[in-house]
Parts: sequence; structure tokens; C-alpha cells
Amino acid sequence: MTALLETRGVWQRFGGLVANSDVSISVGRGEIVGLIGPNGAGKSTLFNLIAGVRPPTQGTIWLDGEDITATPATERCRRGIGRTFQVVKSFETMTVIDNVIVGALVRSTEMRAARRKAFEVLEFCGLAARADIMASELIPSEKRRLEVARALATEPKLLLLDEVLTGLTPLEAQTGVELVRRVRETGVTVLMVEHVMEIVMPLVDRAIVLDLGKVLVEGKPTDVVRDPKVIAAYLGDRHAVGA
Amino acid sequence: MHDVTHAKQRRRDLILAAVFVALAACVPLFVKDVYVQNIMVLTLMYAGLSQSWNILGGYCGQISLGHALYFGLGAYVTAILLTKFDVLPWFGMIAGGLISALIALALGYPTFRLGGHYFAIATIVIAEIAYLLFLNWDWAGAALGIDIMVREDSWAKFQFTRSKLPYFYFALFFAAVAWLVTWWLENSKWGYWWRAVKDNPDAAESLGVVVFKSKMGAGAISAFLTAIGGAFYAMFVSYIDPESVMSFQFSLLISLPAVLGGIGTLWGPVLGAVVLIPVTELTRSFIGGSGRGVDLIVYGGLIVIVSLTRPDGLLGLFSRKRKKEAVR
Repeated sequence: MTALLETRGVWQRFGGLVANSDVSISVGRGEIVGLIGPNGAGKSTLFNLIAGVRPPTQGTIWLDGEDITATPATERCRRGIGRTFQVVKSFETMTVIDNVIVGALVRSTEMRAARRKAFEVLEFCGLAARADIMASELIPSEKRRLEVARALATEPKLLLLDEVLTGLTPLEAQTGVELVRRVRETGVTVLMVEHVMEIVMPLVDRAIVLDLGKVLVEGKPTDVVRDPKVIAAYLGDRHAVGA
Repeated sequence: MHDVTHAKQRRRDLILAAVFVALAACVPLFVKDVYVQNIMVLTLMYAGLSQSWNILGGYCGQISLGHALYFGLGAYVTAILLTKFDVLPWFGMIAGGLISALIALALGYPTFRLGGHYFAIATIVIAEIAYLLFLNWDWAGAALGIDIMVREDSWAKFQFTRSKLPYFYFALFFAAVAWLVTWWLENSKWGYWWRAVKDNPDAAESLGVVVFKSKMGAGAISAFLTAIGGAFYAMFVSYIDPESVMSFQFSLLISLPAVLGGIGTLWGPVLGAVVLIPVTELTRSFIGGSGRGVDLIVYGGLIVIVSLTRPDGLLGLFSRKRKKEAVR
């Protein structure tokens, strides 16, 4: 069976800077995959290429066996890619439920159905009690959850999470981890960019480590964290030799 | 449950609007003064115009300061069709609306790619160009304008000399239709798309919103309705020239009630027009001929006060109350 998502030899150059070089990764159906790496490794660039913010300089991106390299973000959403933003982008002048309705309208333009769907998703994400307040009044961790809720309302096959667990209190992060697990249980595949290793490692089935724009290592999280190359990338060569 | 309360809220808005229309319709029974009736006609017309502007500027967040173009086009198309081709103003009105919508699409194609203030600047420039073109276009009357000969009172020709009431009722109808269109759109896919585009286009795209198409749709609907208002104005004053229907002043007059009352809200334009238009009309007449421009000073003053004390517009005064009720 083909993978749900595949990138084949993807390059992204910004002028002279190479942000991604020859990145080939694949994400299988029903997996939770973590995309990790130190600052400047090219995680966000790759993430944005998959989400359709811009086309790669070179290489192709495949969803469900179809080439989506040239497909714009709007259309990728229709094809089943949902995403969140690292810096939250709530619709601030709209209520929480209206934010989610925007996502739900991709699948149903019938307003009552979209509203019901949005409310279900809010319940799923634990935001139902906040449905009628303005998005601007949410606290940061709730805004993160709203990002997830909005993306889920589009009924994605693949959910892209961009650092949704970063900058949360341990308790909030734990709630977030449980939410991601429940999302997977509903049959959604998850690809998450994360910074905080100790939160993400127990959660993911597989980790892909990027460093300097290339795939450094990929595999089971327990193996990846012990890999000398990964330790070197995060902490510097001196520590790797010690290990 | 949740969708029930939302439906109730919307029904309440609709009932409130029906009550307002019914009350407004009764006002001429008591108010016989022609001057006051005149102010009421203008108030209703600007309520409708600002409501139309609000679709593009308020909901979709594309601030147009060139709506005088569509207003003027509606007026000119109606006047030209009537005086040169004997086409009844009702058809002229629709034709003006359609032409304006098409022009809005043609202009939107390049300008909707512009972000933020650049879009607003482009709309000013384009409307100004159109104004100059009409000022020099002999066939369309150039600077002399077009005089619509008034013969007999007739609904078919939409001309009335003995009474302002027919104009009043049409203006009321226009304002009600503009409100109703907004009410309906607000709870449609378009309404949600527009607000998403206004708040954050990147996030909107990631949720399947076709940003460019949304803007084009808002622009066309807004231009169509604005032109209907312009067509009405041409018949109401029965004489038009570029200065009186296409000058920059109209772009301001069309957008300010929405800004004052509450931008991107259902009731903002109505509230703004009800406050703004009588105040400026009265200052204009009290100060008289020497005080040309004083009404605009009043406008400016009101806007400064509102933006300092109620950045969300006058409607913010009411929504505070609403929130308190909700807490109870």
C-alpha cells in the first residue's frame, strides 16, 4: 500500500540558503510521526511545503498516491490536509465556534450542518464551554486547541501540527498529548513538528530527525534519542563522543 | 442546544428589523415637513449605501474609499438610459447595478492582490480617474451633467414632484433590502469566508477558503447594491453631474456610517447613518452657504471621538449590555 504522504527528493532554496536538501520522507496511514531537529534544521520549511504554502524548488510531494506538488494550500485542504500554525492565527473578531465553522464549511455548505459539526469538534477538543466567546479572549493554550479544532473540522486525512505542544505548562501539554492520541484514534494520520523531545517522544510512533536541511536519522523514538548523530546535532559533537 | 440559540438570535434580528421598518413607514404620517422628510430620505439612502459598502469593507475587510465610482455609475447609467434611450429607470437601475458589478470584478482582478492600505489607495485613485473621465466625457454630459426632465408624477418613470413620500418609501425599501441581503449573507458560507479573509488570509486558505474568489464576490455584491443607491439618488435629485455623484466626498459618506456605527456588523451602518446624516444635514443648513465643508468637519470630529472612546463603533455600547445579559 502506498504511504499517505510522501516527499521525494524535495529541495527548498531561499536565495543562497538551502533550507531543505533532498528530503524524502513518508508517512503511513494512521501513524503519528514526529518531525524533530534543532533550531534551523528546516522543519518548518518542510512543514510549509507539505501544507502548500509554496512549491518546493525541486522534488515532488504526494498525497494518497497523487502528485500535489503544484496544488495550492486551499485545494490541499479539500484533498485532506489540515494544519495548525506555530504562531496561532485565530480569527480574532469571530467567536470560537465561528472559527471552527469556517473549517467545517469545506465539507458542508449547509449552515446548520456546519454549525453542528463545529460544535462536535469543539466538544472533542474540550472547548465547547468557550464556544460563544470571542477567539481573542481565549488563553494561549486554548488558542492552540482552537487551531487543532479548526483543522479537524475540515475532516483531514492528514493533520499537520506545528509545535502545538510547545510553550505549554506540563499539565496543558499532557492534555494536548491526549488530544493528539484521540485524534489518531478517529483514523486521522498525524505529522507533528516539535521542539520538546521529552513530550513528543512517548507520543509518536516514529521520529524523523532533520539537521541542516537533511534527514539525519529516522526510526523508533527510543532508538532515535540514543543515536549518537542525533545527540551530536542537538548538543554538539563533544557530547556525542562521550556517548 | 447550541444551534437553537443561534437561530433564535438571528430570528430576533429579523423581527427587530421588521419592527423598525414598520415604525419608519409610519413616520411620514406624523412628519409633514418636507425638509425633515428630505433628511429622512437621505438617512435611509446612506444606511443602505453604507450597508452595501460594509459587505466589502466591513465583512471582507477590503477597505474601499472609492465607492463613489459605483454610486456614480448607477446614477449615470440610469440617467443616460432614461434621457437618451427612454429606458425606464427601473431597468436603468438594474443595468447600472450589473455594470457596476462587472466593473468591480474587472477592477478587483488586479487590486485584490494588493494588501492593506495599498488596496484603499488604489480604490481612491481609480474612483478619481473615473471622476475625471466623466468630467470630460461630452456624450455623458461632461461637466454640465445630465438634466432629467420631470414631466408628470409616475411610478413607472419614478418621478414625483408633489410629494417626497414615494422617494421615502423607496429609500426605506432599499435600506431594508441591503440589510436583508447582509443578514442572509452573514450566515452563509460567504459571510464566514469573508470574515476569515479579513482576520487572517493565511489561516483562511489553510481551511479551504478561496481568498481571491471571496473578495471578488464581496466586491461584486457591494458594487451592485451601491449602484442601486446611486440610481435612486439620480432620480431623487433629477440632475446629476460628476461633482454631485462621483466626487470623493461620496466615498467618505458611504463608508463613514459603517465605521461610526460598527464596521463589519449587521446593525452598524444603520445606527451610523441614523446618527450621522441628520447631524450633518442640520449643521449644513444652520451654518448656511458660507459654511461649506462644516458638515465634513462634524464628520471628522465624530470619527475622532468614536475612535478614541469606542473603537468598535457605536454598536459597542449595545453589545456591552448584551454581554451582561448573557452572564445573567
